[in-house]
Parts: sequence; C-alpha cells; structure tokens
Amino acid sequence: MLQLFDFYRAAMKQAILVQFQYRAANYFYMIGMIAEPIIYLAVWSVVAATQGGAVAGYDAGAFAAYYIVWTLVRNMNIVFTPYGWEQRIRSGELSGVLLRPLHPLHYDIAFFAGWKVVVIVLWLPIAAVLAWLFQPTLAPTWLEIAVFAVAIWGAFLIRMMFLWLLGLISFWTTRVAAIYELFFAFELFLSGRIAPLALFPDWVQTLADWLPFRWTFGFPIEALIGQLSLAGLLGGLAMQAFWIGLGLGLVTLVWRSALRRYTAVGG
Amino acid sequence: MDLARIVATFARIGILNELQYRANFFFQLLESAIGLATALIGLSLVFRHTTALAGWTPAELLVVMGIYGVMSGIVQALIQPNMLRLAQDVLEGKLDYALTKPVDAQLLISIREWQVWRFTNAVVGLFVIGWALLWMQASVRLDQLITFGIALLCGVIALYSFWLILATTSFWVIQIESLINLFEGLFAAGRWPVSIYPSWLRVLLTFLVPVAFAVTVPAEALTNRLTGPTLALAAGVALGLFVIARLFFRWGLSRYSGASA
Amino acid sequence: MSPNIPAIIVRDLVKTYEVPERDPGLLAAIRSLFRRRVRAIHAVSGVSFTIQPGEVVGFLGPNGAGKTTTLKMLTGLLHPTSGEALVFGYVPARREPDFLRRITLVMGNRNQLQWDLPALDSFELIRAIYRLPPAEFRATRDELIELLDVGDLVRKPVRNLSLGERMKMEIIGALLHRPQALFLDEPTLGLDVTMQRRIRAFVAEYNRRTGATVLLTSHYMADVEALCRRVIVIHHGRVLFDGPLSELVEQFAAYRKLIVTLAESGADLNAFGEVLAQDGLRYTLRVPKAMAPAVTARLLAEAPVADLMVEEPPIDDVIEQVFAVSNPL
Repeated sequence: MLQLFDFYRAAMKQAILVQFQYRAANYFYMIGMIAEPIIYLAVWSVVAATQGGAVAGYDAGAFAAYYIVWTLVRNMNIVFTPYGWEQRIRSGELSGVLLRPLHPLHYDIAFFAGWKVVVIVLWLPIAAVLAWLFQPTLAPTWLEIAVFAVAIWGAFLIRMMFLWLLGLISFWTTRVAAIYELFFAFELFLSGRIAPLALFPDWVQTLADWLPFRWTFGFPIEALIGQLSLAGLLGGLAMQAFWIGLGLGLVTLVWRSALRRYTAVGG
Repeated sequence: MDLARIVATFARIGILNELQYRANFFFQLLESAIGLATALIGLSLVFRHTTALAGWTPAELLVVMGIYGVMSGIVQALIQPNMLRLAQDVLEGKLDYALTKPVDAQLLISIREWQVWRFTNAVVGLFVIGWALLWMQASVRLDQLITFGIALLCGVIALYSFWLILATTSFWVIQIESLINLFEGLFAAGRWPVSIYPSWLRVLLTFLVPVAFAVTVPAEALTNRLTGPTLALAAGVALGLFVIARLFFRWGLSRYSGASA
Repeated sequence: MSPNIPAIIVRDLVKTYEVPERDPGLLAAIRSLFRRRVRAIHAVSGVSFTIQPGEVVGFLGPNGAGKTTTLKMLTGLLHPTSGEALVFGYVPARREPDFLRRITLVMGNRNQLQWDLPALDSFELIRAIYRLPPAEFRATRDELIELLDVGDLVRKPVRNLSLGERMKMEIIGALLHRPQALFLDEPTLGLDVTMQRRIRAFVAEYNRRTGATVLLTSHYMADVEALCRRVIVIHHGRVLFDGPLSELVEQFAAYRKLIVTLAESGADLNAFGEVLAQDGLRYTLRVPKAMAPAVTARLLAEAPVADLMVEEPPIDDVIEQVFAVSNPL
C-alpha cells in the first residue's frame, strides 16, 4: 500500500511537470471548452427571462453558477479517451505497459490525477473572469465546499472507470465509434451536462438517479451551488462510492478477459 | 478554367479513394442519426419550458438546426480535413511537397482531402430544413431561395476563412487537438440564432469569430427575417475574413519557408 | 540460483494465429459480421531449447521466422497455443509481478520515457513502479549511466536527444530493476555503427558484471558475432540450428573462398573454380566446401602460387545460405 502510494506520488509529480510545460496548450484547450457551457447558459438565461425570471427553481444567477462550476467539473471529468485504445494497442505502447509489474489502470489514474492538479490551478483565473461576466449567485456553506471537493474526485474516478470499460471494447472490434457516440449522447442528457436535471421530466430524473452519469457531473455542481439537502449531499457521496466500487469490479473483470484476448492474438 | 480543372481533379481522386470504404457510409449514417436525435431532444427540452426563444418558434429553430447540419457536413467533409492536414504537415515538416507545386499554395492546401461520407450530415441537414418548412407551412419564394443561397455561400466562406486562420497559427504554435476543440466549441454556438446571446457575445460571434453568424443569416433568409443590410454585412464579413485569412496564411508561409531553409 | 537449473526452458512451443479473412466489398464486410472465416497462421510450430543462466544467445532468422513471437511468449505478452515455456521457473503467460520484476524486453520502438522530461524523471517513476529501494536504485542508475557514458544527457528533455542517445536511455530504463533475463529485440536497429558498437560492448559488460541471461535478435551479424557464442536459428517457426556460432558456419557454409596470389601472370584459374575477383595477380576463387582441399592441392601443384589463403565466407552469407537451403517451396 505504501509502495503504491509512492508510485502515485511519483507518477502525479511527473504528470504535473509535463502539463505545466504545456500550460499554454492547456489554456488553449480549456478556453475552447468554455464555449459549450456559455451557449447553454445563454439559452437558459433567455428561457428564464421569458418565463418571468426562473425555470424549475433556476434563475439567471443560479444558471450562471451552475454553468461556471460546470467548467471545473467538466475539466475534472476528462479522462483517457476510449478512442485512444486502438492506438495504444497498435503502437505497441500496451505491450510496454504489460511488461511492468503494475496494473495499467494505475498509470492512467495517476497521470490524469496529476494533470487535474494543474487544471484546477489554471481554472481559477478563468472562473474569475466568468464570474465577473455572468454574475452567478453562489454562496456555498463549508460543508457544501467540502462535499464538492471530494465529489469532483469521485466524479473523476467514476468516469475514468467507465470510459476505460468503453475503451476495452477495442480489444474485440475497432468499429467502436458509433457505440461511443451513443454513450456520449446518453451522458449528455443524463449527467446534467446539457442542462440541470431539474429541467427534465420526472421519469428522466428517476432514471438518472440509477445510472452513473449524474454522479460524474450534475451531483458535484448541485452540491456546490446549494441545490442539495444534507441527505442529498451525503447520499450523493455514497452513490459515488458505490459506482466507483462497481466500476472497479467491472474493469477488473473485463480487463482480465481483454488481456486473455490480447495475449491470444498479439495485438 | 485552370482552377476548376485542378479542383475537379483533386475531388475525383479524393472521392474515388473514399469510395473504397463504403462501409464507412453506414457508420457515418449512424453517427448522423445520433447527432440529429441529440439535437432534437435538446430542442424539445428547451421548448418544454417556453413557447418561443428570443422570438424564434420551434419550427424556425429547426431551420437553424438544419442549416447548422448542412454547414457542419461541409466543414467536416472538406474544410476541417484539409486544415488539419495543413497543421499536420507543418508539424511534420512535410508542407514542402505542397509548396513545390506550381499552383497557388492556399488553393492546393485547401482541396487535398475529400471525406465524402461526411457530407451525410449535410444531407440530413437539408431534410431537417425541408421538414421544418413543411411544419411552418411556409411557401418559399424564389428570391428567398436566392438570398438563402448567397447567405449560405457567405457562411461557408466565413467558416473556411476562420478555420484557415486557426490552422495557420500552427506555423507558430503546434496544437492540433486544441485547434479542433476550439473550432468545434465556437462553431457549436451556431446551433442557436445569434440573437439569444448577450450583446457583447453577439458582437464577438458576428465580427471576431463569425461562426454563429454564418448559420444564422441563411436561417433568417428562410424565415423572412433577413434584411438587406444584414445580407450586405454577411457578404462584407465573409469577404473581409477571407482577405485576412489569405494575408495571414501568406505571412505564416513566408515564416515557414524562412525557418526551414 | 544454482547454475545447474536452466534459466529458460522451452518445450514444443507452438503459436498459431487465427486471422479473419474476407472478400473485398460492402456485402462481404456485412457478411463477415455474422460468419467469420479464419485462416490459421503458424508463427511458431514446435520450438524447443534451454538456456543456462548467464548465457548470451543469438536468436536468428529472417523476418517472419517467429523470433519476435517467441520473445513475446517468453515475456508473457503472448499466450502459447501449446507447449511450455518456463523462465526462472515461472510461466510467463501468468504475468506474475515477481516474474516481471526479473525480466526485461528491449524493443527498438519501445517508448517508456516521458518525451518532454529529462530521462532522470522517468527513471524515478520506474523506481516507483518496480518498488526499488532508493539506495540500490541510485547505485544501479549511476552505474548504468557510467557504463553507457551518457553523463549529463539524463538531465536533458528526451525530445532533445538523438535517436542513439534515446536508445541508450531506453536501455537504462529497461535495466534499472536489474533484471536477470534480458530479451533484446533488434536493440541496435537504425543506429549508426559507433553507437551499435557501444551498445554491443555494454551488453557484454552487463552480462559479465551481473551474470544475466541474454537472448538477442538482430539483423546485424556483427552484434551476434561480438556477443553470442551460441546461436539458435529459426525459420518458418522451427529450430534449424542450435549450437556454437563456429559450428553454424562449419555446417552451413557451402563454399570456401580461396585467395591466391600468383608469382607470374598467364595462368588461367577458371579451371580451378569460379573467379570472383581479380586484382593484378591476386585472385579470389569460390569453390564448393567439399572440394576445397583437393582444389588447394591442385593449385599448389599446377599453378605458380606465391601465396594462398583459405577463407570462410562472411557470416551474413552463411545465414543467407541457411535460409536459401531450407526454404521449402
């Protein structure tokens, strides 16, 4: 355990060093990403304005808060893309990783976790500018801040596992783009990425409760902007823990058979 | 005309090449269907809470969405692949091959890639526009169609010029993924009419990064909103951007030749 | 480890791939989704050998002979279809961490270093992955840096290094955990002659210092001649030869080269064998191996010979000969 901790420390440090070298590129990327929430924010602000100031409990200030926090959660959410697995297999990179006495999931978690540290630092000025432009209503309690701080890492881990699972499909077929697109389409709606889940019909919200998506996106945001009760906050963390556990179990299982397949056909 | 002949030759080679991968058509169709479903669900979510968005009815917004589809089909089939290839060639130092040909360099780097299956999005977009017009029970006049065509052309020129400016930055900073991300992020603003954005953003999306403007103006033509000055503005923006893009590309090119010599 | 127990045991190792096959065209593509037609490719068909600890063995064969497939089976990257492989008593395919800690595989294209950071930073990560005690790690690292003579290069970002320098860093990275078995797949591919020589000398020195077992494939016979007393030749997935390099030459060289210098001109040497080259009075003749003694005797008796040398053909020619002879058409 202590040795695994040592690995995480070393790998995260390496990722931080690399990503700070690329801070300009990181900024470029983050700025490109900001367009999406601003579009949603513009649409919902107009809707709120025409509906007498608020829809489903969100007024312009609440929407602004939602979509500004969104930018950090989205950044935390970016993990190794499932599209990258085909390249990993083909380039021989995977073989190199398999020669080492450590499960490859650790590399990805550690590398992206290190990157996230850089992302959070770079995000702060962006958040300041957005807050100045859009005037969010945001007054979190200490508990909400604490839950948020944990929940963004929970969101990161859940999405890491599930995108890993998707990527592992590449071991069986390379015609995966349509499957991924479908997954991302579901995620767009059921996670709270396109709009707060409160704006959806009840049945969608119930469905979302029982799928992993909302715990990787909507939950951390709602936690910080004050949409959740104490039970909602703690229950959300519990759901995150559940999905991390389930994801880990599934990854272990599928990875084993993916590996069997890989060592049978040799990439 | 020499120019047309060159373009036609490249197009033929590109299309023949793509026809080898016919199965891609079905996967593209599947992706287009998912994209369309996503857009429609998004739209219905908005209209769950309101009856009109900044004066646009659901059917009119469907027109915007259809034009967005047409534009993105053209961008993905023709503009983006060429621009990415430009950035890639600069990165790998392979641009020299293109520069040694006795053809205008900008023309050549703009017509090398033809990912024809990507036009599927454009076809789907046309169907969406047709559907929306039926829904509105609109009768489209010929002059409307002509202004629509002009506005569409201006839009494509503006998008092309904007992508060229982005891709030209790769002579200085090389970040291909960020380029796609930046373009797609900004272009997504075109899913909605520019009038929904706060005024400072509207100015930005019209003059600085006229990506949303490129989609809104043709939609205005089809929904009886387009005024003469707006069309003139669209033509002006397209022309101005094209000139800027060309000058910028040439500047980048001279830097490239200087650096690699 | 007792020297009597072999480091590597391979018995009847077989690897057969099934490759999906389909006709061109859309219809065939769709049909193949439902019914897959496969063709079997026999990459390795019954290979056996044992290697003692500390041995340096050259693994030779043309492209597609099954060398890389065998190396991958020995390092746990591929599951054998049948047969058995044991490395230090471990079954490689189980990929036990203790096994992985005792081996290394160096491939020309492998990239375990962070492109944008100095190699030192990557080494630090490798330390953590292999759980090396810091003091031991530093000692090994500094020893390898000194052996490969890379000095301050380890402080430069990897992207700024030349291909050869990068290869040296890769090798250091692959050996930091002091593996007892080295599998080297074309370690000198694409490097210039000086760099090849440097790496060769390093492998020999590493083997001398640590007693590690080395199995190496290379296209450069110079690598094999310099490093390996024993070679295993495989072709079409089978072992053709396993023994000392000198014996390989003895067994497969079909020709001898006679270099004859005459005292005076005028003699026609074409009668004695095929004249490969003539430089003034100096002739190079090629004669079948079996006839070499007889021809030599005849030459001395019948021609005005001032000097005569019998040469074995270069190893490259011999290897070419091996594969030409055994090519079952």
